[in-house]
Amino acid sequence: MTDAPLVLRARDLRRDYPMGESPVHALQGISLDVAPLEYVAIVGPSGCGKSTLLNLLGAIDRPTAGTVHIQGKPVEQLSDREATRFRLLHIGFVFQRFYLMPALSAAENVELPMAEAGVAKAARRARARELLDYVGLAPRAAHRPTQLSGGEQQRVAIARALANRPALLLCDEPTGELDAHTGAEMIALFQRLNADGTTIVVVTHDEQLAAAAGRVVHMKDGRIVSDTPRG
Amino acid sequence: MVRATPTGVGDTVIVGAIVRRSADPSEVARGEYRVVMHLDQLQTLIGYGDRVDRFGVATRDSAATVRATALINDAAFGFAAHRSSDIAVETSQTFLVVSRFHRAIGVITIVASAVFLLCIMLLKVDERRRDVAALRLMGISSATVLKSIVLEATLVAAVGSVLGVGIGAATSALVNAHYRGVYRTPLAFSIITPDVVAFAVVLSLVLGVAAGFFAARRLTRVHPLVLFGR
Amino acid sequence: MILTLARASLSRRRTRTALAVVGVAVSAALLLDMVMLSSGMRESFRSLLEVRGFALRLAPKGTLPFDTEATIDSADAIMAQLRANPDIVTVSPVLGGQLHVQLAGGSVAAVAIGIDPAVQGDYEPRAGRDIRDADDIVVSDALLAATGAHVGDTLRVAGGYDAQLRTVTRERRLAIVGTAHFIYTPANPKVLAMRLHTLRAMTAAQRDPVSLFMLRLRPGADADSVEQWVSRAIPRVTAISTAAALRQVDERLSYFRQLAFILGSVSLAVGLLLVTTLVTVSVNERLGEIAVMRAIGVSTRSIIAQVMVEGVVIMLAGSVLGLGLGLVTAHYLNGILAEFPGLPAAIDFFLFEPRDAWVSLGLLAVSGVLAGIYPAWRGASLPIAVTLREEAVA
Repeated sequence: MTDAPLVLRARDLRRDYPMGESPVHALQGISLDVAPLEYVAIVGPSGCGKSTLLNLLGAIDRPTAGTVHIQGKPVEQLSDREATRFRLLHIGFVFQRFYLMPALSAAENVELPMAEAGVAKAARRARARELLDYVGLAPRAAHRPTQLSGGEQQRVAIARALANRPALLLCDEPTGELDAHTGAEMIALFQRLNADGTTIVVVTHDEQLAAAAGRVVHMKDGRIVSDTPRG
Repeated sequence: MVRATPTGVGDTVIVGAIVRRSADPSEVARGEYRVVMHLDQLQTLIGYGDRVDRFGVATRDSAATVRATALINDAAFGFAAHRSSDIAVETSQTFLVVSRFHRAIGVITIVASAVFLLCIMLLKVDERRRDVAALRLMGISSATVLKSIVLEATLVAAVGSVLGVGIGAATSALVNAHYRGVYRTPLAFSIITPDVVAFAVVLSLVLGVAAGFFAARRLTRVHPLVLFGR
Repeated sequence: MILTLARASLSRRRTRTALAVVGVAVSAALLLDMVMLSSGMRESFRSLLEVRGFALRLAPKGTLPFDTEATIDSADAIMAQLRANPDIVTVSPVLGGQLHVQLAGGSVAAVAIGIDPAVQGDYEPRAGRDIRDADDIVVSDALLAATGAHVGDTLRVAGGYDAQLRTVTRERRLAIVGTAHFIYTPANPKVLAMRLHTLRAMTAAQRDPVSLFMLRLRPGADADSVEQWVSRAIPRVTAISTAAALRQVDERLSYFRQLAFILGSVSLAVGLLLVTTLVTVSVNERLGEIAVMRAIGVSTRSIIAQVMVEGVVIMLAGSVLGLGLGLVTAHYLNGILAEFPGLPAAIDFFLFEPRDAWVSLGLLAVSGVLAGIYPAWRGASLPIAVTLREEAVA
């Protein structure tokens, strides 16, 4: 833990969904702080609200109540356009199903967020090569996602998430679609990322992935039941 | 009797009616003022004597027409009898040209429609590629899937045909009403006959079913997992 | 990157894209044809009227040139009157009639034009020489073919024909001195041109008539004021300027302009519908991708732009293909309409001007843009989290 300002500060987050007569309370007052360089795993049974929480933390969704500050900026108040821009420049996303653009090559997928951010072509090509090299996929830069294995696709997705040097990497079940061996490789990659200076929040069922994290937050029924640093 | 001399003032005539006709479709390239008057007065005015350009003869029935035509032609000297229907064909060159033009436009439109139909059917069936893949993975045969899509296309084509006939009839009525007013003529510009309706319905059914068949065949020939995008 | 994404998306579904381009091409061809039809007749007619530089035509009162068999009598006096006007440089008199060329096995009816060869504007000589003497004629190729004659031959031509007695009168021997292209006649005409006085003699015309005067004005002269002067000075004739003649043509052929407008609008609408459907389906298939792009920070505007580019690319590709197709179909349709009885063969209903292609292209490009806007906006406006979940389940 450092004394630097928090990367993420969430207070009293609530998210309700209208469902018939009485709403569903997906989150019931979640508060969470994440410091720079932390590697936090959020675990819990299906339906406990893990992914809902991640969506709020990543400014993909708006809370019914509560606040989310990322690098000191209150993101729940941002307009849709501002939130999109904020995500582009400050947050990296990794999804369970990779969600690469099937029509683009691996390198082009990594370049996509940089192109949107206005990075010059030469610079973004160089950075894409660098990131693919980092995740061990430099020789596959020209391949389409359909020509890559699940593990390779997830690596490309991670490279894409890091393209604009985000303050925070949010991952939703990143090993959910991978076999055990590939999953283990992914875990190692996440540890390397964290060691190299990336702040990571992971939502997962995978016990081994959670075990590799520096801190584990248990959720149940929309609440945090425990928040335990490891080691 | 009306008298008139080329360079002097003639008799005073009473004009019975003035009718202004806009360009007549039977005279696309021509236009003239017309005066209708008593035969004997015109004959005198233009110095035609006892001559006429033609006689119109009404007969009891078509058999009588044939007999009369033969009789007149046998006895005629310097003139001939023609059936009105034959003359109509000869003098309707303008209509023939317009009719050929319409037919050509019709053919082009049909070809264009066929292409559009195939495009749109392909798109709409393609939209359901995952549904088709799921059905086939479940064990439903390609033939069953194909038949169901073709049946759907047939129903859509049938309903579309009926609607199209209705729209066509309404448009035809509108066209006739409009152009009859513009050209002040009892001519029909658009006539919908049973064979026209039959042709249109059969054509749209055939095209619709064919488009559905080709679109469905594209999907059922591909492995379900490929349809899922794996 | 927008262009890359659009290109990649289009090439992912090649058959679909190709079929859509073909569909747009057909629509573009029809649209181009209708644009050509709407202005072709008028421009073609204008070229025809202006081809020899005659700005005014005088016809018998209340008629259009060669519309009726009426004539302008005492034409010689009128010509003198016209030549006295300093704005009028050339007066070309034309008399029309029908003559019968006598052959061994029968006769061939021919249209005859009586002119003054020094100032005529009705034909362009092709072979042989122009008319000089009273018995010289130039003929059309069709008349040569019908009579089996050649340049240099002499024909027996009769001016009068009694249908009842089937006899000819006023027969004269005329020498074919050349062939010519007759500008204002329908296709494949059997036409012969001769000196005005010769035709008058052969048709026993009284009171030196002509069917028509064509006037060439001095450069800078105002056609309208000359027209008005003619109306006042020579009330027995109607003066028709090129503009007035065009107005008459517009009115008579208004049906085709209306048809052109309706068919053009329909084909544009159908093309728009096709591209809209294509883009909509394409967006619906990629809702998950679009949600992911928004999740990683790609703006709604970029997404809309990418989808619109797809629509525009299809439209433009189809338009280029449609241009060629449209010119081919226009040629075919023009051939059909050229057979209108009484219309000069030189009139084209479908006249291609680059402006027409640009108009069509512009309309289609705008349609392409419009086609993409709504589906793109819809796709990019869906809530990200919900869409991701639904697409994951799907």
